[in-house]
Order: sequence, then structure tokens, then C-alpha cells
Amino acid sequence: MGNVPGKLENEGVARPNRSMSASAAQTPSGRNGTTTAGARSQRTSSLVGTLLSSRRRSSSSEVNGNGNPYKRKSTKDKEKMEERHVKQLIVKYNETVDGGFLAPFGSCGTDKLDYDAKVVKNLIMERRLAPFYTPLQDFDDSWSREEVIKIIEALPLHAPFNENLETFEDVPIGDLSQNDIDHLIDKTLSRREQRRMRSKIFKARLYKKRIIWQERENERFFESKIEGKQSKLQSNPNLPSDDLKYAMYSSGAECPICFLYYPQPINMSRCCLQPICSECFVQIKRAEPHFPHDEEDPSNPQDEEKDPNMLTSEPTNCPYCATPDFGITYEAPADRKVGLQGLAPSSYVYHKKDSPEQDSVPRTPDRRGSLASTDQRVVTSDSLRPDWQVKLNKERMRLARRSANATAIHVSNQLVTPGHQASAGVTSTSAPRSNSNDNAVEFQHSSPTPLWPANATAAEIENHMIEQAIKLSLAEHERENSPKKR
Amino acid sequence: MASLPKRIIKETERLVSDPVPGITAQPHEDNLRYFQVTIEGPQQSPYESGVFQLELFLPDDYPMEAPKVRFLTKIYHPNIDRLGRICLDVLKTNWSPALQIRTVLLSVQALLASPNPNDPLANDVAEDWIRNEDAAIAKAREWTQLYAK
Repeated sequence: MGNVPGKLENEGVARPNRSMSASAAQTPSGRNGTTTAGARSQRTSSLVGTLLSSRRRSSSSEVNGNGNPYKRKSTKDKEKMEERHVKQLIVKYNETVDGGFLAPFGSCGTDKLDYDAKVVKNLIMERRLAPFYTPLQDFDDSWSREEVIKIIEALPLHAPFNENLETFEDVPIGDLSQNDIDHLIDKTLSRREQRRMRSKIFKARLYKKRIIWQERENERFFESKIEGKQSKLQSNPNLPSDDLKYAMYSSGAECPICFLYYPQPINMSRCCLQPICSECFVQIKRAEPHFPHDEEDPSNPQDEEKDPNMLTSEPTNCPYCATPDFGITYEAPADRKVGLQGLAPSSYVYHKKDSPEQDSVPRTPDRRGSLASTDQRVVTSDSLRPDWQVKLNKERMRLARRSANATAIHVSNQLVTPGHQASAGVTSTSAPRSNSNDNAVEFQHSSPTPLWPANATAAEIENHMIEQAIKLSLAEHERENSPKKR
Repeated sequence: MASLPKRIIKETERLVSDPVPGITAQPHEDNLRYFQVTIEGPQQSPYESGVFQLELFLPDDYPMEAPKVRFLTKIYHPNIDRLGRICLDVLKTNWSPALQIRTVLLSVQALLASPNPNDPLANDVAEDWIRNEDAAIAKAREWTQLYAK
């Protein structure tokens, strides 16, 4: 968005809090619809003031607030963050924990891997979450030790990938080593189209880069394997010994969600002790912020202005037993502490179970009962995405801003046409719309109010048109700043 | 991504090797995420002896996202609308990745056995159902004869 004038960028910085409180004050009366026209116009005209003044304020306040999670980030910053995140998802063959890795194999796309990579890596290193193992599509008990080792040997670090995704077919990606992509954007397009194009180009490039990064890592992995084979004397300490490969995979388990076969031990749900692999666990997250379902009152379909503070987002439920606030525990293998903070994976020698080695801190008894989500052994779903609260608040603010804007515009409409009945036109066209994939239950939209009285003067109509233009620009601005997840 | 996830392959295989009584699900040749489904109306329900056609689609995010299921056969039911869309918790908010095609279709079949007019999707049908249940059941039976043969 480098070529976008600064005005739009600044605008949103300071506004959220102001308009939030303004509309919070507005909603109790707005909801039951008993406000008199006078009170309403008073309320809303103060909103106009709020909007105007906060917009004025914003230009000065943009300087501060660097560490503030609510600060709007520039497109470039967002792109950088996203790229950094994708880099974190690349498996490094020399960063292992007990035979697994710190990044996922990638049986699914990256879109769903929007967890906090730092948190997850730390949890794995602390042995509180199972590492990301390379899965097997199937396992046959009749395989011999040699066969198992051979199969494990051939596994890549990442799931194979479609090089040319249909979605990115005609997107120009330019020179990947060049960071500037402005020149790839068709300048003849409207600003909105340009922004859309930019985001598409960025995604396509990131996708390509990810493939390149993954391939590079895969090559390193295979090269070091070959080297290790050629010089028997000094094999790479990061590569697993044959004993380790066999010990891991000969007694694995199938994850009941992705149906893939993983080494044991596996994460266990805190509530009902069901297994779940780390790759599935990190994908389970809260639903996008939404209104409570029973809030929709069929007897009052006109009531579109909902209190943004009603927006909720519940903690995830256990996929197996639906206990709220899903979490897992993990008990690291005591006899296989290799990799980071452990022995070199290449030096692992399989010991028969009868020689109890020095245990790595026994954390849980063999058969535990269900644990509370607050138990310190438990890793909750929420803890992998600590920003959920910020997200929810942002969405609330967005909605509050939106309804404040709509009200402001509506009131100025009435100021232009004094004869206009106030009660006739409180129809917010920017009602909270569900962006989710909830296709069956759509919010109802009432028909637009008459635009202006038949006897309106040219000036009134012109005014109205200007307002419409402002409204559209605001709406567009908001749409851009709330990147859709899918 | 490119290829079909193991989960979908295994589920499909198990649907064939161990079918659910009264339910069939056949993946489309061109798109293995798209299934043609039939459900037999449960006994002692107004849909008894009917065979209902449905379509089921597994979105890219499956199993993190629920399958999309829709009736193709016309049906008179308070929780199924004119477009065949189904109001069922496990298809929406109560979806869990531990559920499967099999369990979802069983839930749909159970919905046929116990319509819930108090949480309607087809408002007019639900009103009929509440006002005069016998008449509504008779109509559901009639529609079954007409469309689900």
C-alpha cells in the first residue's frame, strides 16, 4: 500500500477507543428502540463530533503506541510479519526434539497454521507438547526392522506440495529476490483493485518462497544423510540413529483426526485422555468473533444494531467429548531424550525396557484422571494463540466504528432534510454482517430508506450524494483493514 | 493439499467396506471431495420408505471445518428448507474434527426421525408443525410418497 496517501492510514489509529465508548453508550437505548427522536439526534450529533474530533486527533497520535497491539499496522509491516511466520513453519532437520521437529510436516496448508510459532516451539522444547513428527500414511505390523528403517529414511521433511496452484496461475510474481513489488501492480486499476492485486501478488510470492525454503531444507537434509553414509566415521550428530528410527515408529499410533500414523507418545486431551497429534492440535482454534446464536430474535427482525460488546468468541471444545476450553498434556518419552536439550540423535541406542534409565523428570503418573484447564501440565488451545483477546476487541471496535459511522451519516441526512421523520429512517445499512461461512443463517437486511423527499432541492441532493461518497469510502476503508481469513 | 488427505481416503474406504445401514455415500469420479448420498427415511417416521438424495462436500479445511450437506430431494421438514439446507448443530457450531462423514449422516438420519419445530429453518413448515402436528406429518408423508420414491 506504499502509494496510498497517508490520510487513510492515520485515520484509524486513535479512533477505536473513542467510538467504542460512544456506541457502547448508545446501544442500551438503541436496542429497545424507545428513544425519542430528539434524544436520538442529540446522541448521534455528539457522535458526529466524536468522529470529527478523533479524526483530527489521530494525525498527532500516530507517532506513539509502538508496542500497542491495537495499533493498525501498515501493509508492509503485515507482510513482513506474515513472511516471518511462514519462515518459522519450515522444518529444520537439525532442530529436533526426541526424534520430532519444531515445525509441522504440513499435511494441511499454512492458512490453518496461524498459531504463535514461538510459543509452540518453546512448548515442544520444554517437552510439554509432542514435537511435530513426520507422519506415515500407513503402518504395517508385519514390516521388518530393516523395512521400517528404510521407509523412515526416505521421508522428506515436508509434505509434497502443488507447485502451481490454480489460484495463483496468472499472478505475476516478478523477481523473488527483490523485495519491492510495487512495480508489479497495474497502476491503471482503481486503488481498491490495486490493493487487492498487491495482496494477491504477495500471497503468490510467499507461496513460491515457501516452496523454495522447504526444498532448500529438504536438500540439506538429504545431503547430510548421504554424507553420513559415505563417511561412516563421522555421521551428522543431528541425524537419528537406526535404533532411534525403529524405536520411534515401531510402536506408533494413529491420530483419530488426521488418520496419520505417528510415533508415540502422543498428546492426550486433558479431559477424556484421547490422543491427538500436534499438527491437528495446533489447528484447533476459536471460531471467529460472532454474536451469540440465541441472540437472534425472530420477533424483531428490524433490530439490526447489535451491541458490539455482545460479540463473543468461546474457547474451543474438546473434539472428542466437547468439554470446553480444550487442552492437552504430553508426557515425553523417558528413554528417548534426544535432540535439543538431550543427547545427539545419532548416538541413540535402543535399550530394552528392563533397564530403567535416568528418568527425564517424571511429570505425570501413568494413568491420570482428567485435569483442569488451569493445571500447569495442561497446554490449552488458547495458549497457542495468545492474541485471541486482541482479535476479539479489534472486531468489536470495528463494529462499533461502523455503526457509529452509519448513525453519523444518518443524522447528517436528517440535518439536511429537517422535515424528514427521524423514526422512518433508522436503517443502518451497515448492520453487522456475518463474514463467516455461515451461509444458512444470514442477517436480514431491510430495504433502504427513501433517499430524499420528492421536493428536495438540488443542494440537498448534492449533499446527500457527498455523504454517500463518504460512506462508501469509509466502508471500503474498513473492509481493507479487516483482512478476511478466507 | 495437492493430493487427497489420508483422512478422506480412509474414510471413503471405510464407508465402502463397512457401510452404514440405510445410508450410502459415493464419491464423485471427478471430485473425490464430493459425495452423492442417499438416506432411507427412518422407520416410524413420516419419511419411512422414502429414499432421499443428498449431496455432501468436504471443504478444503475438512476435518477442521464441517462437511457441507444438502438435501436434493424435496422434503417437508421443519429443519430443512426449500433449498435443502439443513439446520443441524453438528454441521455448524457443534462440529468437531473427531466427527466423520458417517457420523454426520447418521445425525441427519436422526433428524428425520425427530423433527424439531422449535428451532426451525423452514419457518412456514415449523408453524404448520406446531399448529397442527397431525396434518403436518400427513403432509410430510405425502411429500415422501411424491418425491422420495
